[in-house]
Parts: sequence; C-alpha cells; structure tokens
Amino acid sequence: MSTAGLAIDSTAPVAPKVKKNKASRHKKMSPLSYVFLVVIAFASFFPFYWMFVVASSTSDVIAQTPPSVVPGHNFWNEVKAVFEVVPFGRNMLNTLIVCLSVAAAQVFFSSIAGFAFAKLRFRGKKALILFIIGTMMLPSQLGLVPMFLLLSKLNWIDELKALIVPALVTAFGVFWMRQVIDAQIPNELLEAASIDGASIPRIYRSMIVPAILPSAFVLGLFSFLASWNDYLMPLLVLQSPDKFTLQVAISQLNTKAYGMDYNIVMAGSFMATAPLLILFVFVGRRLVTGVMDGAVKG
Amino acid sequence: MTRDSTPSPKGRRGTRVSKSTNPWKSSNQGNNGMNRAENWWSQLFISPFFVMFIIFGFLPIAYSVYLAFFRWEPLDSSQTFIGLENFRNLWHDPIFWQSTRNTFSIWFFSTIPQMALALGLASILRNPRLRFRLLWQTIFLVPNITSVVAVAVVFGQLFGRDYGLINYVLHIFGVANINWQETTLASHVAIATMITWRWVGYNSLIFLASMNAIPNDLYESASLDGASRMQQFRYVTLPQLRNTITFMLIVGTIGGLQVFAEPATFGGNLSGGSSGQFSTLTLYLFRNVQEYTAYGYAAAVGIGITIIVLIISAINFALTRRIASEDTKK
Amino acid sequence: MAHRNFVAKFALLLTALALLVGGLVAAPAKAAAPVTINIWTFGNVIEPKMKKLYEKLHPNVKIVTVNKGGPDQLAQALIVAFQAHRTPDIAAIETSWSGLFRDYPSNFVDLRQAPYNANKLKKDYVDWRWAQGTGKGGEVIGLPTDVGGLEVAYRVDLFKQAGFPTQRDAVARMWPTWDKFIEVGKNYNKKMKRCVDKLKTKSCFIDSSGTLFTALLNQGTEKFYKGPGQVDYQNRQVRNAFNQTGKALVAGIGSRVAPYTGDWYAGMNKGSFATLLAPAWQLDYIKQYAPATKGKWDVAQVPGGGGNIGGSQLTIPKAAVNKAEAWKFLSWYLAPAQQLTVFKEYGLFPSAKSLYSTSAVKNYKDPFFRNAPIGKIYASGALKLKPLYEGPKERAIMSIYGQALGRIEAKKQNTSQAWNQAVADIKTALNR
Repeated sequence: MSTAGLAIDSTAPVAPKVKKNKASRHKKMSPLSYVFLVVIAFASFFPFYWMFVVASSTSDVIAQTPPSVVPGHNFWNEVKAVFEVVPFGRNMLNTLIVCLSVAAAQVFFSSIAGFAFAKLRFRGKKALILFIIGTMMLPSQLGLVPMFLLLSKLNWIDELKALIVPALVTAFGVFWMRQVIDAQIPNELLEAASIDGASIPRIYRSMIVPAILPSAFVLGLFSFLASWNDYLMPLLVLQSPDKFTLQVAISQLNTKAYGMDYNIVMAGSFMATAPLLILFVFVGRRLVTGVMDGAVKG
Repeated sequence: MTRDSTPSPKGRRGTRVSKSTNPWKSSNQGNNGMNRAENWWSQLFISPFFVMFIIFGFLPIAYSVYLAFFRWEPLDSSQTFIGLENFRNLWHDPIFWQSTRNTFSIWFFSTIPQMALALGLASILRNPRLRFRLLWQTIFLVPNITSVVAVAVVFGQLFGRDYGLINYVLHIFGVANINWQETTLASHVAIATMITWRWVGYNSLIFLASMNAIPNDLYESASLDGASRMQQFRYVTLPQLRNTITFMLIVGTIGGLQVFAEPATFGGNLSGGSSGQFSTLTLYLFRNVQEYTAYGYAAAVGIGITIIVLIISAINFALTRRIASEDTKK
Repeated sequence: MAHRNFVAKFALLLTALALLVGGLVAAPAKAAAPVTINIWTFGNVIEPKMKKLYEKLHPNVKIVTVNKGGPDQLAQALIVAFQAHRTPDIAAIETSWSGLFRDYPSNFVDLRQAPYNANKLKKDYVDWRWAQGTGKGGEVIGLPTDVGGLEVAYRVDLFKQAGFPTQRDAVARMWPTWDKFIEVGKNYNKKMKRCVDKLKTKSCFIDSSGTLFTALLNQGTEKFYKGPGQVDYQNRQVRNAFNQTGKALVAGIGSRVAPYTGDWYAGMNKGSFATLLAPAWQLDYIKQYAPATKGKWDVAQVPGGGGNIGGSQLTIPKAAVNKAEAWKFLSWYLAPAQQLTVFKEYGLFPSAKSLYSTSAVKNYKDPFFRNAPIGKIYASGALKLKPLYEGPKERAIMSIYGQALGRIEAKKQNTSQAWNQAVADIKTALNR
C-alpha cells in the first residue's frame, strides 16, 4: 500500500493562492445534492422520531393505522415510570464510564499497534496482521458462554470491569489505524525524523498522533457507540440494578412476558439515545473541525 | 540502542541510528537487518493487543472449539466425546447451507447500496460550502445509536403486511400488499434495507475522514488540466480511496457475513422464517445455543462460519489486489 | 426438708419460667439480620406492589428483581449461571422451559425436604400446574405462579354481522369440538366475504390458525414425551393436533397475522379477526391495545373445555445464597391469599385451585368483555386439564412444528409434506 510519493507538508503556511483554487474546485451545492441529503436524513431520523411518538403516547398508538406521527402528551409519565423501575441516572453513569474507558483504551492501543504494523519492521509482521484480521472472522456469539465462565472465575461478575477489560483492544481498531497511518504518513517524513535522531516513541508522539487525530476521533466514536449498544454480554454479566448499563436497564422495563410494553420501553430507549445526540453536538464540533482540517492543509 | 562499529551521526537523545539500518530509508526497505530498538518498540506496541486477545479472545474461542468435538449437556455438565461427528453433521445440514446462501444474498443486497450511498454522502459532506455540516453528520449517525429494540418495533411496523407503512405507500402506487416475511426475495430486501439504514451514516464518516486526507494539490492539477467534477471524482478521489474501499469491503464482508440482530428482530424468533428463508449463519448458531441447547453443535457451526468468512475474505482480498495491480499497470 | 426442696424446686421453676418468658419477650426486640433476596424474573411474574408489600411486612428483607429480558433469555442465563455456580436466590422458569429444567432437578433445591416441606402445599394447587414444577424423579423444584388458561375471545359485533348467536353460552354451543370450530370459521368467511388481504375492511375468523396447535396439544394426556428420557413426538395425539390445525390452515379461516406484531394490534382494533384463543393474561393486551373496542368483545368456552398457554414456576437454585428467606418469600407470594390479590390487581389467573370456589373468583366479571364471568370460565377450563410430561427438547420440537405450520399457512407445502419435513427436522435437531 504505497503512498506513491505524496508529500504532505503539514507545516507549510496556507497561502491565499490555495484558498482561491479551493473555492473554484468546490462549486456551489447542487439542488440534487440537497435532495439526496434530505432524503437520507429523513430516513435516518424518522425511526428515532417515531420512537419518541410511541414513548409519549398511550398504548393504542402502536395499533393505529395509518400510524400516528404526532407525539402524545404522556412522555413525562413514562419518564417517571422508567425511573421507578431502574436507577436510570446511575445506569447512564455506568454506561458512560464503560464506554469512555473502552473508547479511550481502544484508540490508544490500536494506534500504537497500528503504528507498529504500518511503519515498524519486526519478525512475523505479515503473519500477525493476518492473524488479527482473522480474529475478526470469529462470530462473537461463539465466545459468549465461555467468556462468562472466564469472567466468573475471575470474580468479575456484576462488576463494570468485566465489560471494560475484555474490550480494551479491538482487531478492527488495529486494522483501521494501520491503514490510516500507512496512507497518511509518508515514509520520507519518518526517515527524515529518524535521521535527526528522534526515538520511536518520540516519533509516535510528535508525528503520528497529530496526523491521525481526526481518524482517532472517528475510531473513538465508533468504539464508544459499539460499547453503548452492547447488549448480550452486559445482560449476562451484570446482576444488580445499580450496576446495569443502559441497554440492560431498558430490558428491565418490559413487564409483558410476551410481546412488549411499548410505551415505557420506547421511553427508556429514547432517554438512552437522546443524550448521545446532545453529546455529538458538543464533541461533534471538534470532530468536524478535526476532519475538515485535513482538507484545509492541502 | 544500536552499537555500530562504523561512525554514525549522534542523535539528539543519544540514540544512534546508522544510515545502513534506518528503517524508513527506501534503500533499506528490503533489508532484513533490523534495528534492535525498533524490534523492541514494535513488540511493546503490539503486545497489549495480543496479551488481551489471548486472554479474552482466544481462550473463550478455544474452549468453544474444544466443545465442537463433544456433545455437551450443560445442565449436568456431561460431555461425550464424539470426534468429528458434529462437523460431519454440519456438512450434511441443509439448514446450514441454506443459511449460508441467505447470508450471501442479504450481504449482496446490503453491501452495494451501503457503499454507494456512503460514498455519495461523503462526497457531498466534504464540500466546504455545505452549511450545517454538524447537523447532517449527527443525523446520519442516529441509526447507529438507535437501540435494537426500537429498530425492531419501528421496522416491524414499517414492514407489516396488512397495516405497515411501506405497504401503505406502495398501495398508493398500485402495488399489492407485499408479505415481507414470507418470500425469500422480499425478506432479504427488507433485512438488507434495515442493515443499510443502520450503517450508511457510519460508513460515510469513514469515507469522509479518508477523503479529507487527499491533498488538494491533486485536485488542483486535475482541474488545471480541465477535468470536470465528475472526472475528478473518478480519477482522483476513487483511486486515492482505494485503500479505504478495500478496508471497508473486508470489514463489511466480515460484518455482513455475521449479521444477526436484523434477521432476529425481523422474524421475531430464531427460526428465520417458516422455511428458513431468511435464516442467517449467526442466527442459526444462536438457535442451536438457545433453542436446541446443542452447545457442541453450535460450536461447530461457529467454526464453519469462521471458515466461510475466511475463504470469502481471502477471495475478496485477492480480487481487490488484482484490480489494484491492474490499475497501476495502466 | 421436703418443704425446703419444694421451695427450691419451685424457685428453680419460677426462674426458668421467668427466663423463658423474658427470652420470648426479648427475642422480637432483637433486630433480624438484613437479607437481600435476588430474583431473576421476566415480564410481570413478580408484581411490584406485592414485592413492596412483603418488604413492608419484613423490614429486614430487601428484594432485588432482575428482569432478564424475556423467558428465553432467562433460561439461557440460568443455564450459564448453573455452570458458574452463581445463581439468584429465586429463578422464574416459564412453562415452555420447564420441560428442560425438570429433567435436571439436581440444579435446584428439592423443596420436598425440610424445612420447606412443599408437599404439604400440593393440594392447594391445580395438579397439572404443580406437575410442571416436578422433576423427573418426583422432586419438587418449583411452585406454580399463575394459570394461563385458554378460552375464546370473540367480537360480538362481527358475529352479529355474520348472523351468528352472540350470547356466550350459545356461542360455545356452536363449537363443542374443533371440527365444529373450523366449520364455524368457514361459515364466517363465507358469510362475511371479507377475508381478503387487499381489503381495508379485512375480517377473518381467527387471528392465526396456528394457535390451535398449542391448544390441542395441551388438551391431551401426552405431548412430546412418554416419560423421562422417552421422546415421542410423532404419537397419535401430536399427529391429530397437527392435522387438525392443518385443516384450519388450509380452510383459510385465519387472517395469517402473528401475535404481538404491529398487524396484530392493528387487527384487534380494525376487526381483522373475529376471535382469538386467549389465555387469561392476554385479555389484558386487548384492553391495553384496543381500548376503543371496549364492550365489543366477549369470552366463550374453548372447544374441548380448557387449554393453557404460559405461566411459570418459581424455583430455588441449589447455589442460592439465602435459601430459607427465599422460601419464605416464595411460599408467601404463591400462597392462595396473595394469588387472589394478584388476580384482583393484575388479572393473572391463580393456580391455587382453592380460590376457584371463592366468590372473588367465581363472581368476577369484566366490564370490558360485556361483564363476562372471566373467573368462572377460566376456572372451569383450568380444572379440565391433565398433567402432561414435558421433556428437555420441548422448545426445539415446538419451534420446528411451528415452522411446519407456517409453511402450510403460506401454502408452501400441504399438511403431510409439512409434517414429513418437520419430523425429519426434529430428528436431526434431537441428534445434535
């Protein structure tokens, strides 16, 4: 995967000349593009909106045809009901602890491993990267029961660390970071740096990290989301309500043995999802500017 | 730290890196001699992954693989060694092969739209003239954070035969009620739609990140040569994205061949339809675990899945490699 | 001398008495050690109000209920928990899983032993529900919670339109057997001419003909097992149940809507189906999801007199930490008095048969269902069923037959083709 002699000089000042050309390359947004965006945005958002409609209405809303698209007045009742069943605030805190730890760890460990695979030479590199890709091919359901038994032997059942520690590293992360570093950091730069006498950790810290920051953010986001959505393992491992994460808390809400208590379950799902959106708005700014930085520094 | 007998430039921190063993010097690329520091650091950097993987990845899987050679009754912990019998049964299991075909079919219906839509979205999103970019990006990630339970309820309603919203809309265009669960084709399209819905935004972010790393010089010189936007996309963007696309295809294949949540919520149970028309590989694995409590056989199914994914990924990789090398020959 | 002895003895006796009385008075003042009872449950097996009541009555006891997501997930979690030797104090097991767990009673506390002495309570409960908590060697591993039961909920307005009688006894007389039930169904479709998918006013006789299979199976004396370790899924009763259901499916009397789907809830409101085979707890679903149809439904006896879907047992796993306290709660919660409260408050039909003759149950009428005597109807149904041996692969067999019936419904196969494939599939599955 050579980078064909690209020279990314991240320290060159941005000349006005570059800006003018950039503007001419990116012509005005065509109406077709906007239509496309709107259609996909609508399809993406509608199910979430409908979740809120069900969460705020009474039971019969699920049976209406055509389905109601107007929210009801029952939302705060359902919220109260949720808090009566589970310590939702505590559960959200637990989820944040788990997801943030996992995201941070996965980004860090993936980036150093990815750096090693992309730019360092060592024995067995090829075999090991194939091995890592191979591990992604094992279906996760296969290891569910043995994993529980292992965690039980470690006495980690009903502890958050049972969810954090096994998730500290991820094959996807290593593979992704390797590919990013390989594509974005030319060998010439590293060659120059090592001639100047920089040690490997120094190179990692001052050259790799700044360059991969946007991709690292994206990986962090994905790791965070994967951990947020994790359901099967937490359901098995967590036993006390004040240790639950959000997905397990949501499954507590269903008091129908068959079928579902739609309103309260949707209310719980909505309460678990909406904060993420708010989080995006804050963290997302950083993400967007980080991602766009790459374009400006052309 | 290298101890080299030939005089070498002293580094600022005292680390001597001789010219002949500088790892990134292009003339040294083929050199087998390795810098000891490099080797040490490499091992340090990759060891967290391998240590954690051995404990929490390999051990559970190894135990499952071990189980595949037994008939296992978990409730009285009795294990009967049956050798390769589970694998023989697997080879002759029509439901396993049907699940394999279904998985491929659903993968086909979902991967291509996913990639195409994600590419399209990313190329629109990277335009600096686009306003409210953060808003768009957030909305496109909503499917990925919507909980499985909510997806089940919403899409269950959408794909209802009698009163579902999709059939309602199709009715306006004169199409008769489609029974989405009943036929093979309709169920695959429905499930593929659910999968595409969930992953388009996510994939577009990956493409966007990679697209933004493409330096503007390339676009500048292309436009100076008179290339239109479409041509720039075809001859600058796509080739530069080749690595990302390969990566996405590999990850997408691996993920797609293991799709579980969507078929399970679509059918409401683990059967994958009355004639198994939308039973996928991991759904069948889970059915063996939960409904049949046949843990040994389920482990064999898991190994079968891994082998299939391995073969497909290898083919995938070889194909994209071929296309890549043909391209560079031009 | 004798007098002194007597005084001494009397003094000794008095002292002993004083100590005894003093001890008795002092004992309650000693605070009982705090205990937490962990319960794994699903749905509404443990009602929150009852839990709070027990905690009020026993201030040192805290009850923590964990909803494992559903009966299947709970069974899975329990199997894993047994291997790890980390179980809750009480685990609810749904009846369709009872077959599996009853075959491995060593994982549970045998409640026949002292201090539980569960056999003393046996007479309080309906015998086939008690049997679902009895292990293969006669061990009592769990006590029954509610009775699902099965009767026919029907739409009075639609029956009227079809020219059928609407009074519930007359309605029940229309279908003393399942054959007659299917005939009535065919008549309904013929008269109404609305059992067509395309129609906005679609109306078929029953929601899903497949529900007949469960009803028929549970009305017999043998299901899929002759006894412990003796699987027999092709016996005459099963075959009859399958063929009978096949007849209903081929006759097209069902609207082909699966329960608990969007179409089903909508169908309740729109009259897409005129009847449904309803366990007692399902009546609540109609009330909740189709409130606008209040007064349009009634309940009549099911062909064959009775049936059952659902219910669960409360068990105490062997590795439970607080066995004694768990038993105290369990036996209290499932005692007839509390089952009556649960019935009145939540509509779950009791398995304590001593309640069936009480006026609370006998005279219970539900205004939503035109004041149908729900208590009387379901009680008489519950008394008609007999104990059935259920075995470990119950779920697998049921699931495969379910698929076969689905194929008949979808017109992919005829009844005997579906049967043959099902039998072959079951054989393979059982061989794993």
